[in-house]
Amino acid sequence: MAMTGLTGTGAPADAPDTDAAAVASSVAGLDDTTLVARAGDGDVPAFEQLVVRHQPAMYRLALRMLTSTGDAEDVVQDVFITAWRQLPELRDDAAFVGWLYRVTTNRCLNVLRARRPTTELDQDTAISGRADVQPERAAEISGELAALHRALAVLPPTQRACWLLREAHGRSYDEIARIVGTSTTAVRGRIARARSQLAEAMRSWR
Amino acid sequence: MAVNHATDDYVLPCERRLDDIWQRVGQSPDEHEQTCPHCTAARQSLLVLRDATRQLAEEPVPQPVGLTGRIMAAVRADIRRNRMLPLPSANGPVDISEQAVAVVLRFAADSVPGVRARRCTVRATDTGAVEIELSLALRYGGTAPAERMLAQVRDRVADAAEAGIGLRVARCDLVLADLYS
Repeated sequence: MAMTGLTGTGAPADAPDTDAAAVASSVAGLDDTTLVARAGDGDVPAFEQLVVRHQPAMYRLALRMLTSTGDAEDVVQDVFITAWRQLPELRDDAAFVGWLYRVTTNRCLNVLRARRPTTELDQDTAISGRADVQPERAAEISGELAALHRALAVLPPTQRACWLLREAHGRSYDEIARIVGTSTTAVRGRIARARSQLAEAMRSWR
Repeated sequence: MAVNHATDDYVLPCERRLDDIWQRVGQSPDEHEQTCPHCTAARQSLLVLRDATRQLAEEPVPQPVGLTGRIMAAVRADIRRNRMLPLPSANGPVDISEQAVAVVLRFAADSVPGVRARRCTVRATDTGAVEIELSLALRYGGTAPAERMLAQVRDRVADAAEAGIGLRVARCDLVLADLYS
């Protein structure tokens, strides 16, 4: 574990002269649990460090779930503002990342639920939704990856969430069960179903 | 790929489970898999999927410009629990925010090597003094015995509160919440 930051300086407390920059740079070496405790106290630099650390993974998950940069951005912004407000009530400081994944996943599922009527009428929109994500990159990505993106877009949302949390975010089955609020057995079943459907879609690339 | 979708197990016509084939997909095929057409087809599809999954996991996702800044602007605008503490003053009453005091006290505690301050609450008593409760994580196998480190923390925190800010400290409770390595 990194042990940089204030703990190593050994300088006598010179607190009243402390400037904001020193405080901001000092949080970079701290562990998540310490940052969560401080942020729960209302320490803004500690919270900012948590945003810097975890925003990329949450945005990645939201973008893969929603295939829309605007919606993904809204979800992530909402998740972290909710986190800031609820941190004082978070009982287990070490559970913060799991909490972030849970709230991000649920927000994404809610957005998809609200969208559903149109996507059910025309499944092509779910697939072509990919086109507005990163048009400049569309030509660069491999055929395999493009096929996987298309196949992911038509998976049922909870299956997609479980599969992404496992394969793209490296979460364990137990963690995913807590994130989506179901049993480990149900998670295994969903991921197996997703994998089978995705493998089927990749058949033409083998 | 022929798969029995009626069960959750995804059993191939040769009775092998797709999940088991996935578990072994990085290894060379066993005797059955070498000759079974169902397993061969399934392995090939899963290998392509594994490859594409790796690409997906490594695919760079550009972060939206300014997202962190927008989140932090909203956070700073969100006034939360900004409890005020009375600051003894010769020129009439002055209040100071608990959060501002907590930042200074945590900084003082952090200055002791092997100490990371966590939660800090400061409460005013009826007499105008304050009671501090500070939780800490100590470095496991630190350079000094925990007792000496805690005494040092108490001195520096009290000094920062009294000499630094001008509060009167009635009590300073330290809670050893965790160890880190």
